[in-house]
Amino acid sequence: MSVGIGIHPELLIVDDNPADIVLAREALSGSKYSVQISSVEDGEEALAFLNHREQYLNTMRPGLVLLDLNLPKKDGKAVLAAMKTDPELRCIPVIVFSTSKLGRDIARSYELGANCYVSKPGNLIDFFSAIKLIEEFWFGLVIAPPRGE
Amino acid sequence: MSSAGTKLGALDAPKAKAKLRALLVEDNQLDAQLVLRALRQDFEVSALVVQDEAAFKLALHTHNPEIVLADYNLPNWKGMEALNVLKREGMDVPLILVSGALGDVTAVECIKRGATDYVLKDTLARLPESIRRALHERRERLLRRQAEEDLARKVDELARSNADLEQFAYVASHDLQEPLRMVTAYTQLLGERYRGKLDENADKFIGYASEGALRMQVLIQDLLAFSRVGRNGSGLAKVDCNAVIEEVRQTLTSSMQESGATLTHGDLPTLWGDRTQLTQLFQNLIGNAIKFRGKDAPVVSVQAEKSGQHWQFAVSDNGIGIAAEHMENIFVVFQRLHARTEYPGNGIGLAICKRIIERQGGKIWVESQPERGSTFKFTLPLGDSGEPAAQARDGEKHESSEPALGEKVGAPA
Repeated sequence: MSVGIGIHPELLIVDDNPADIVLAREALSGSKYSVQISSVEDGEEALAFLNHREQYLNTMRPGLVLLDLNLPKKDGKAVLAAMKTDPELRCIPVIVFSTSKLGRDIARSYELGANCYVSKPGNLIDFFSAIKLIEEFWFGLVIAPPRGE
Repeated sequence: MSSAGTKLGALDAPKAKAKLRALLVEDNQLDAQLVLRALRQDFEVSALVVQDEAAFKLALHTHNPEIVLADYNLPNWKGMEALNVLKREGMDVPLILVSGALGDVTAVECIKRGATDYVLKDTLARLPESIRRALHERRERLLRRQAEEDLARKVDELARSNADLEQFAYVASHDLQEPLRMVTAYTQLLGERYRGKLDENADKFIGYASEGALRMQVLIQDLLAFSRVGRNGSGLAKVDCNAVIEEVRQTLTSSMQESGATLTHGDLPTLWGDRTQLTQLFQNLIGNAIKFRGKDAPVVSVQAEKSGQHWQFAVSDNGIGIAAEHMENIFVVFQRLHARTEYPGNGIGLAICKRIIERQGGKIWVESQPERGSTFKFTLPLGDSGEPAAQARDGEKHESSEPALGEKVGAPA
């Protein structure tokens, strides 16, 4: 009988805005959960990463994905749909992290299987506290799905 | 110089005659000659004579007649059939029946079906006058149709340019948010990370920059809220205004408690409206009544009465009031009468109110005396008509167009 453990502290950020990735890294620097951050800037890149394709042959699957919606090539919803219909990836929790507050975007994200939807705050303090709350909840409190070998 | 037309024209034309292209539908040569002779009294005529539908159709296009003169009974065709051909071809050419014997009943029937006039063959002298009248009426008809088309086109253009402008304002403010978010976050990060590490001025400058960016964020959000009034709408439904006021009371609880405000309302109607927008309307007005208070605790009252085809609402307070010269421009976007330190805000609330009310077919104005208080009055259509009509459709259209903005166009690589 396996014992539940926390989520593997490896976070994949999918965001086409490098400035947002830097902010998230800033917010998590000195993190007590030693969260490792990887980042990709478009949807195709994200799926390559998750499926160990191309230059990502040897990367670990992340414990958590922070996913922007507005992405080049393949948008966030397409990435979400691909992940949640893939038996290998569907258990990785996905946080949609977008500036959009449109009801339609929020509803669609949940329909596609997002684990939660967080609105990207407009100012630094709120942005940092959102990332910290995410960290505390997902890496400090949540128990991960057992990893099949 | 031997053509009949020229000879006739030379014979009886002291003054210049109007030209006329006529198409005769007539099987009897003699009758055709008689008709032509009657026409030549007044016109310089160029005429074609046809007897059946095929020839008639062809002549319409080759001859391009200004008038059709048709016999009622033809061996192979009926003169009235020519009317149907004209209609099918979409040609507005007046048709006058010229007939030997036509009973009154038949004549009236023909006019009903679209003939312009009928002239008996033994009173051909009145034919020119009848033609002149027909041509005149046709000209009038054309002018009117043209004026109507012009008007419709202008209305259309106006509506389109209005919609374009709205779309532009929305897209512009929407797309400004993203880069501004970066400016805000990074000036804040600078301020935090390097506080006290540069010189004194640097901290101050960075502070100004990030305050400005934050203010701009609020402005853009307000602008978006304003332009959303024209785009979204949750659709029209029956709305009980008493319930709306109670909802607003809940929302404003803290500012009401803080200021010691009392809010009362009379028996308010249930009307057709957009519930979200009506709530925002009352919230803005009541919120203003509390915000712009005088020395005394605010006393706010909402009343409504029937006035013609409208409900007239009044939201009155005992606040600081508004001088007469400002009563118009307080409804303009970003118009503020007070320093930000005195009364916070961006001057968007009343502009939104005005937009909401005008979208629902009403008007808003203010009656006020400085230091004595203000009464904001507005009208909304009576709710019992049961026809939400225009706005609801608007709302749907706009709502469906909005989400397109969520998609990124030409995203940076």
